[in-house]
Amino acid sequence: MTLPVRLSGIGISSSTDKGPRVVGAGSRLATALSVLPQGGSPVRLFHPIEEMALLAAYDALSVAGVPLPVGGDGIGIALGVDEGIDGIKARYYQGVLSDGPLGASPMAFPFTTPNTIAARISILLDLRGESLTVCGGNLSGAQAIGLAMETLREGRSDGVLAGGATSVEQEFLDALCHVRRPDGGQPRGGACLLFLEPQVSAGKADGMAALIGYAEGFGKDDIRDAIQCCLEDASLFPEQIGSVRVASVRDSCLLSEALRQVGVNTPIVRSPASNLYSTSFPAAVAEAVAPSANGTPGAILVVGTDCLAGASAALIQVGGRQ
Amino acid sequence: MAEAVVVTGIGVISPLNPDGDRERFWASLCAGETGVGQIRSFDASAYPCRVAAEVDRGALREAGAEIEPALNMAEAAFHLALEHAGTRAHGGDPGRAGVIVGTVLGGTHRAERYLRAKKTDADEMAKGLDQYPLRAIAAHLARSVGFSGPVLTVSTACASGTDAIGIGYRKIASGSADVIVAGGADAICEFSFSGFCALKVLTPDTVRPFSRNRRGLALGEGAAFLVLERETTAAHRGAAPLGRIAGYASRSDAVHLTAPHREGRGLAAAAVAALRDGECRPDEIEYVSAHGTGTLYNDWMETKAIRVSLGDHARAVPISSVKGALGHPFGAAGAMEAAVCLLAIRDGIVPPTVNFEERDPECDLDYVPNVARRMSVRTALSISAGFGGQNAALLIRGVA
Repeated sequence: MTLPVRLSGIGISSSTDKGPRVVGAGSRLATALSVLPQGGSPVRLFHPIEEMALLAAYDALSVAGVPLPVGGDGIGIALGVDEGIDGIKARYYQGVLSDGPLGASPMAFPFTTPNTIAARISILLDLRGESLTVCGGNLSGAQAIGLAMETLREGRSDGVLAGGATSVEQEFLDALCHVRRPDGGQPRGGACLLFLEPQVSAGKADGMAALIGYAEGFGKDDIRDAIQCCLEDASLFPEQIGSVRVASVRDSCLLSEALRQVGVNTPIVRSPASNLYSTSFPAAVAEAVAPSANGTPGAILVVGTDCLAGASAALIQVGGRQ
Repeated sequence: MAEAVVVTGIGVISPLNPDGDRERFWASLCAGETGVGQIRSFDASAYPCRVAAEVDRGALREAGAEIEPALNMAEAAFHLALEHAGTRAHGGDPGRAGVIVGTVLGGTHRAERYLRAKKTDADEMAKGLDQYPLRAIAAHLARSVGFSGPVLTVSTACASGTDAIGIGYRKIASGSADVIVAGGADAICEFSFSGFCALKVLTPDTVRPFSRNRRGLALGEGAAFLVLERETTAAHRGAAPLGRIAGYASRSDAVHLTAPHREGRGLAAAAVAALRDGECRPDEIEYVSAHGTGTLYNDWMETKAIRVSLGDHARAVPISSVKGALGHPFGAAGAMEAAVCLLAIRDGIVPPTVNFEERDPECDLDYVPNVARRMSVRTALSISAGFGGQNAALLIRGVA
């Protein structure tokens, strides 16, 4: 059996105001940043996704009792960011199309690379450990959690902030319409980060939950494979699953069939955050361990799928309830 | 117990070998040739810098106008790597075979086309937009060979290719996969060129890594993939390993979005951690494949990081950068440089740092200036750095 990973902090943030701004005194983020090396000096934020991700990171580390700023290279970050920067990219290139080389903003350009959000968190919170950014559509956040779990199980890190950040902007919604996959929603955003630690080193607190299995699938039977492999990873039988929480799903019938094939026959709850792309999976994990969640006995299976990559991921977690 | 991870195949598409001829790639690098020249793929006349290292896209195998260039190059390099490994598709359990792609831009060409057409041609807009998402490359490659194991897209700026190989190595070493084809791909486009030009890091003429008169980097493009296998899997099918991935680490600078830590803190930490991961002493390193972009601060920072991570041995080890020959192909860079390490180990020759004209007092190590060097290489270190303070290091060993 592979080692479980302790979930000891959760941070969730949703979209606020739009556009670049300087964090003013009294704001929630200003309070968060006042403990950091910048000493509360103004921090210029280029895009709301930075603020959402920073707040989620700050909350997750604070809840876990990690002193800030972190320092040292023991704690890292694994972040899923996919569609989150598409609006920035579109506006940057529209500037080039309009004004040629003079329209290329040196301020905006660095924000067109997906790893910028993880970098901003690392810089402001002084995280010098591993820094990985993955782009897997709806599964971005799930894949980030998977990488973090691997790192922790192999003893390569003392802790990892893992999750996703999303900013769904009008440019992205327009593009989806053009490829005949209309989203049907409004511009929105969110970030959810989990602070994960190796089970053995987290003696200072009980943690919120343990992530005891994780797996991915790709191709024809991706959902079934992910669930089956996840059960094997956690050394659980299907009947030990207490409930199923769906982070994102491209086809409900396929999901039901996959669950039936594997032998999981429990209530399914669809996550309210299922329209948050990269953030949907970590948000579903957070919802599952929240005190308000249905306290069904047994492990909780979280499942997510992505329409383009054709892959799926599954995760089992248990809280204090057994 | 961790599984030993061997490399059984290399596939490279670069400006020096658009047809994918691996031996031409290697011979050209060792001969000191360069692929840097005037930009042809778009009109760069309005920009103050107009050079880059481009792949002759007409020479690509199975070139198709409707295929996004990064995907086209990735597909070619991916299949060349599998051919080199002696298998077009993994013969074992497809659920234990995967693809990990490092890319920064993915299908940004498609986004450019979409945005250009937005005001004028509604039908043109959506063409090929499904190839735009970064994850489209990995998904396409995995589908093409029926792999259903780990399929990941890593985007850690210019360290993407190194991180992709490192993650693949870990997945095999931990027993969660038998075969991973890992590497990177990116293509030059006006989008990225305009941004680097605005940041004033592009050279107006040529790339001179570690040379005192260096003036910046040139963008490059291409794709490179390695076939990583469990040693036992490779032995079972009689494959001859080219080398082993023996260690990997990633570390963050945590100081600045576009500038490296001046003392190379993150890169040194990544190199030290990769050596520790591979249980390797600094004095075992016989070659360092440097990131060596040819920008003022990168080359200073990297020299300091090598000094810190290798200690006194830093002065004795040959270090070279292939960016003068290949430009900087972003997500593909780390994968090409890992391939360079494996070929150096295979042939006992270290490629030169081309265009090295004048010693910089602060870059005081052995950069193998201009001429390749014949020497035995058993253990090599490949290091990468990127925007956002990304740093990654791979430890590569020969097979006994």
